[in-house]
Formats: sequence, C-alpha cells, structure tokens
Amino acid sequence: MNNYIKEFIEKVTQTLEVLPSEEIAKALNILQACYERDGRIYIFGNGGSLALATHWVSDFNKTVFGHHDGISGKRFQAIRLPSTESELTAWANDVGYDMVFAGPLQNYLQDSDVIIAISSSGNSTNIVKAVELANAHKIPVIGLSGFDGGKLNELADAKIVIRTEKGAYGVVESVHGTILHLMTEYFRDYFNHIAGRK
Amino acid sequence: MIITRAPMRISFLGGGTDLPDFYKRYPGRAISTAIDSYVYIVLNRTPLVHKVSARYSISETVDHPSKLQHTRIKAALLDLDITRNIEIGSFAPLPAKTGLGSSSSFSVALLKGLCAFTGRKTDRREIAEAACRLEIDLLKEPIGKQDQYAAAFGGFNVFQFDANGSVDVKSVLLDYKKSLGLEDHLSLFFTGITRSASSVLSEQKSNIDKKFETLKKMSDSVPEFQDRLLAGDFRGLGEMLHMGWLQKKTLASNVSNGIIDDLYDAGMSAGAWGGKVVGAGGGGCVMFLSSLEKKDAIQKAVSVVAEKNGLHEFSRIPVNFVQSGVEIIYNTDFHKSL
Repeated sequence: MNNYIKEFIEKVTQTLEVLPSEEIAKALNILQACYERDGRIYIFGNGGSLALATHWVSDFNKTVFGHHDGISGKRFQAIRLPSTESELTAWANDVGYDMVFAGPLQNYLQDSDVIIAISSSGNSTNIVKAVELANAHKIPVIGLSGFDGGKLNELADAKIVIRTEKGAYGVVESVHGTILHLMTEYFRDYFNHIAGRK
Repeated sequence: MIITRAPMRISFLGGGTDLPDFYKRYPGRAISTAIDSYVYIVLNRTPLVHKVSARYSISETVDHPSKLQHTRIKAALLDLDITRNIEIGSFAPLPAKTGLGSSSSFSVALLKGLCAFTGRKTDRREIAEAACRLEIDLLKEPIGKQDQYAAAFGGFNVFQFDANGSVDVKSVLLDYKKSLGLEDHLSLFFTGITRSASSVLSEQKSNIDKKFETLKKMSDSVPEFQDRLLAGDFRGLGEMLHMGWLQKKTLASNVSNGIIDDLYDAGMSAGAWGGKVVGAGGGGCVMFLSSLEKKDAIQKAVSVVAEKNGLHEFSRIPVNFVQSGVEIIYNTDFHKSL
C-alpha cells in the first residue's frame, strides 16, 4: 500500500518540478490585462475538468475580493461555461456534444474577453472547437492540458501543459487544480497588497 | 461603433538603439513598461454621410481622406482604402508630446480600430508592425520602433531590434511585489515643455556614426537592467538610469537643455538614486527613482525649479504599470465579423 501511495505522489511531484512557470506567468498577465479592460473570463472542460472549472470560478470570484474592493471597485468576472446544466443538455441533445462549449461561448464572447480551456488530452473535440472560435476572434487563450498537450497546447497563447504518460488523468487534474489555486492566490495577494499600501 | 485603446509607456533604457542606422549594424535593445494612461480611438460608421470626419484637437470633415490635415489618419485611411462613411475621434487623459509615446499609442489604437472596421481580426504583432510601417515607411518619420511595440504588446518588455528589421519581444515576467515596488519608488513629472520626438531624433539620427560606441553601451546595458529589475534592486535601477541619462544626453544637442538639466539636478540633489527624461528628450516628462522617504523632497525641489522657470503646466503624474496592450473595448460589429 505504502509503495502505491509513494509512487502516485512521485508521479505528481515529478510534474510539479517541471511546471512551465513562464507559461503560468503569461497566464497571470493575460488575466491581469483582462481585469484592466473589464473583460470576462470564460472557463470550461469535460468531466473532472468541468468540476475544476466550477471550483475555480467560485473560488476566484469570491476569494480575490473577499475582504475588499479591487482597484476603483472593479472586479474580476469569471464565468464557467455552460453556465447552466440546461444549456449543456440543450446543446448536447439538439446539436451535439461538439458544440457544448463553443455554442454558449459564441453567445457571450466579446473582444475584451479571455478563455481558460481545460483538457487533459488537449484533444477533446468540443474543447478544440471552442478554442478555435476564440482563436478566430484573436481572443487570448489559456490552455491547461496534460499528456503531450495535444491540439489545445498548440492553439493556446499560454501553454500550460502537464507532461505525463498518456492516460494519467488523476495526476494531470490534480496539478491543474494546484495551478488554478495558484492563480486565485496570486490575485488575492496582489489585491491585498494594493489595498494595504493605500 | 468601435472603441479601441492603447497604453502610453515609460521607457527606461535603450532609446535611440531602435533606429535603423544603429540596429542594422548592432542589435538594438530597449526596456519599457505600459502605464495606465491610454489613447482611445472611437470609430463610427456614417452610412448616409459619404464623407470622412476626424475629430481631435480640431474637427475636420472632408470628401476624401487625401484632403485631411491629420497626417496619420490620412495615411492610414488611404493605405487601408477606407475613403468615406467614417467618423474618427481620439481621446486621451494627457496632452500629446509628453515623451510617454502617445503618438505611437495613437497609431496603434487607430490601426487596431480600422482593421476591425474592415472586419479584420488582428493580433498585437500585426498591429505593431502596421504602426511602424505607417509612421516610418509611409510618413517617413525619423523615429524608432520601440513605442509601437510597447503600445501594442503592453506590460513590461525587453525589445530587441535585429538587423533584418524584425523585433523580438520578451515579456519581463515580474511578480506584483516587484512591479508595485518599482511603482512606489518612481516619481514622474510632466515638465510642461512639449516637443515632437521627430525634432530630437532627426539630429540623433545624423549622429549615429559618431555616437556608435555610446549607443552600443546603451543597448548592452538593457539585460543588466532587466536582471536588477527581476531582483527588485530599485537603487541599482536608479543608478543605471542615471548612467543611461548621462549617455543619452551626449547623443544630440537637444536631448536636454538648461531647464531640463536644472529640473534633473534638483531631483538628484534632493536624494534621487537616478532618473532620466522619458522619451526622446527636449521636454516631456522627467522621472526619478528614489527611496520612499525622499519622494516628497524630490517633488518639492523639482516643483521649485519648475515655478522659477514659469512652467505652469508642470505636474506630478501618478502612474500604475499595466499589462494591457492595444485592445478593442467595444465593438458593435463583433459578431458580424466572422
């Protein structure tokens, strides 16, 4: 049992040691620029990745400004897509699963927005379709992928790939969770720092 | 309607090494950051009015862009073959010719908007290149390339200007502590003296041969400035700015003048670690880095000199660094354009 636990932790640790920190920094800069222009952040993924997206949105929207207002009262606006189960099932049932993200995204998207796409394989068709939509509009894309990064890593502006063997979903999703928490804490600390110096 | 904006910038080191007479012989480098003063461009379609209107410090309405007085709007419209049914307005919180790169911010925001107006989606590099083409190739302004890239990309960047004309953009990935720390140690003052960069850069351009070794040193100092920045060595940065300013002053006779020297010396005597005139020189803004305790004394000392010289528009400019580059803030055509 101990060995199994150690091996899993080792796999996670190995990926943490080679995290693409420059790409994570780029992602933080993309989010900051979006904040400055009052744009919105759309985040999505399938299955566990959708759960990560939901978790991040609730954390990020609440935690960053939990204790004070942002610069001039301006706040982050992070939205998980689709924002309702009804939209998810409507697009899936009526059009097809390929459109469950690109469909709702098209309703909302404006030039000032950014997207965060999460896909361990980087190749989920519905994720790639939504990213291609953002690319066509030159909307910045933060891509959280795993394995070899897949198509998502090619198309993203901030290429956060957790390199593992194919199929290591648990490891990839765990590390995605860590990076998403890093993003939240970075901006929480940043705005706390600003509030503290005034 | 389309609204775009592009930030102004503070340049730290390497200005002048972005002129072709230099970078064709040796790689030019510059380091700068975008600040939270933006040039805004508003574009409006006027389907029933077959004219071109440009509204800036004056208002022009003409039958064809070739009749416009505003050289950049005229050249951009002619180049993109937009000949009628458009109104263009520009807005900014600071006056022009302050040394904060606003004229390139204008071109960058204008071109971003005009491309969107014609239904074309563009990225930052395309717009930076288009602005360089507009200002340098079409309008033959004797200026460099750093401002167009600074306005288009936003954030803190090191630019390298290569012999083949390409520009390498490396983002300086500063965390918020370093970035806000540098803001805290920085004082920026508008001298109240405005000048066009072209007038200063023309002489500088003709001096490049003579000043080649100085420019080389300026370009080579940029990586060290970046290292100190990443280390949060604000005093070291101030000292490097001072060295850079002394070098820059030798590039042309009009980079500085008696009043600017007095303003600068007053800040240094009041305890600044270093500083410089921001932009090409000859006027515009003067900037200092200092300990937090010395900031008030520096402001007082510099204000006294400004008053003595009758600089009525002299004022401190509060700055925040921003990540934003050129961006479309509002676009009623967004969903039409694909």
